[in-house]
Amino acid sequence: MSDFLIHVASIACIYGMLALSLNLQMGFTGLVNFGLIALFGCGIYGAALAHVMGWPLIAGLAAALVMAGLLGLFFARLGRRLSSDYWGIATLSIAEVIRITVMNESWTGGAQGISGLTLLFGDLRPWDGLARLGLFALALFATYLLCEKLVRSRFGLAMKLMREEPQLARALGHDINGIRARVMLISAAIAAVAGVLYAHYLTFVGPDQLVSADTFLIWSMVIVGGIANNRGVVVGAVLMQFAMAFVPFAKDLLGLPTDFVAAARLILVGGGILLFLLLKPQGLLPERVGAGK
Amino acid sequence: MDNKLLSLAGVLALGALFHAVPAVAADEFTLGAIIPLSGASATTGEDQRRGIELAVKDVNAKGGVLGKPLKVIIEDSGGKPQTAIDAAKKLVSVDKVPLVIGEYSSGITIPLGQYLVQEGIPHINPASTSGLVRKIGATSHSMVGLDNVSTEFAARDVLGHGWKNVTILAMNNAFGQGVAEEFRKHFEAKGGKVLSTVMYTLGQPSYRRELQQIEAAKPDAYVFTAYGTEGALIMQEAFELGLQQEKPFYSILITMMNKDTPAEFKKGLIGMDVGYLGAGGESYRKDYEAAYKEGFLSAYGGYAHDAVEFAAAAINKAGSTDHAAVLKAIDELGKQGFDGATGEIKLDADRQRTSQPYLKFKVEGAKLVPYE
Repeated sequence: MSDFLIHVASIACIYGMLALSLNLQMGFTGLVNFGLIALFGCGIYGAALAHVMGWPLIAGLAAALVMAGLLGLFFARLGRRLSSDYWGIATLSIAEVIRITVMNESWTGGAQGISGLTLLFGDLRPWDGLARLGLFALALFATYLLCEKLVRSRFGLAMKLMREEPQLARALGHDINGIRARVMLISAAIAAVAGVLYAHYLTFVGPDQLVSADTFLIWSMVIVGGIANNRGVVVGAVLMQFAMAFVPFAKDLLGLPTDFVAAARLILVGGGILLFLLLKPQGLLPERVGAGK
Repeated sequence: MDNKLLSLAGVLALGALFHAVPAVAADEFTLGAIIPLSGASATTGEDQRRGIELAVKDVNAKGGVLGKPLKVIIEDSGGKPQTAIDAAKKLVSVDKVPLVIGEYSSGITIPLGQYLVQEGIPHINPASTSGLVRKIGATSHSMVGLDNVSTEFAARDVLGHGWKNVTILAMNNAFGQGVAEEFRKHFEAKGGKVLSTVMYTLGQPSYRRELQQIEAAKPDAYVFTAYGTEGALIMQEAFELGLQQEKPFYSILITMMNKDTPAEFKKGLIGMDVGYLGAGGESYRKDYEAAYKEGFLSAYGGYAHDAVEFAAAAINKAGSTDHAAVLKAIDELGKQGFDGATGEIKLDADRQRTSQPYLKFKVEGAKLVPYE
């Protein structure tokens, strides 16, 4: 049991980082990104390509950060011309274009993906699981501190102003395009780091990991946890991940057929988003208004 | 209030997890299986589930495993590596199964197998045919001949019909890409020529564009592979476009798509598939049709069936669930040969199935008939 819990907690940490990344964009800056999974994809494929080329892990991390940074800037550049809802649609389509390209190119391993990446702390068996969990938790904590510091700074105030009143922000002399670009860069870097860690945990990278359904899983974590509350989205990520992991046990306990698991997971994500949007739109931990400084 | 609610939810979720005792009675012997019961390959997954179900019945009729009735805990992979690994971690660390069977797509079987190898748990691959499966590691075994075996048979068969220039149509996933690439390799090594390869995206409302693309190359024959309803649509549209009337169609793993295709759209269709030969194959087919009132949904139920039978036999031979003993028994059984529904199963030094009985099939009416 403990191995399983360590595994679920490790994945929860990675999702926690992704939820924080989405929260910076969507929660604090009002950037409705439906293509978050593509930034994560830069992370996993950065690690995978480094593996194929025989580069060390750190080079994979660098490649991942560069790719995610470029994609983040591209997303931000699109935002100059598009209003937020159209921007959301554009990000979704770009993520799909990237997934389909990756699936059809031979240098990415195509649909077969790339396998055999080094497992983080593989030498530390049987303590490797705990070591990874420690590293992931540390990465999550560092990300949390970074996000907290960011949203409590002057720049954070500008982000929130941009979310609430972009015209006013512009009138007050804030550089809207600059804010968008910087937020996208930072959140892309977070997603890329999460991707590299994930790739070196699962040791396999493939286009199936870039499906848009995963973006919405992260959305559900942010919405359930509390939009624009960093602590909330981490709680949301942990809760959703444990809830998903619990489904197969519910199946065993109640003697339900195995297809129940897939259906129940979809209901958890879709139903979770819907329920919270309708009944508790601020999430479990609402945004703390006026708590800046 | 919010914090209370939150901690309550957290405590409930964790408590439930900790207390979740697997629904297995102490007097049952359990194995684990991970198959795609949802997602794009759910039909094949259902066929695998049926194969497992029939094997469990059969094993239990013969006295079970180590004196206990066998139960296979089936988990859904959702067609995603992450979900499959989650399921494997559950099976290994919570249900404590001594052996895991899975999955279907190579892209999932490989990371799944690698995880099981790291843990030292015996793994049986019941379906994935990518050449990369060979490299998974020391505790991983295949019940299925890899791509190179099936496509070589198909390449020889197609050339045997005198068709030297062909086009390939295959679905754009790990399986389809593997088949297209391996077929091309074997076909061209034997002197044939692949004029063009078209990969189609699954789940489209129409495949006319792809069909017109392969037609443009003017081949001697169209070689394709397709899953159930997709294959039916492709055959119907090929018929409507007049392609079928001009040039022959050759289906790799024809049982995957034959059942869903109406007779009028598959006149003259030929192809190859795994032969369900011998006493084991015949009785499996009969049991299947009696239990589910229809023919095989795919070619993969039989392998999943054999994976369970093989695992049960190996564990009985080992006399315990000790990993080393089970692995040794699998090794011996693989050398000595085991009669399954898919013919005799022998494993090579890389723990992969060495040979496999393939058959040539042709369509007569709605039915598939093997021929020589």
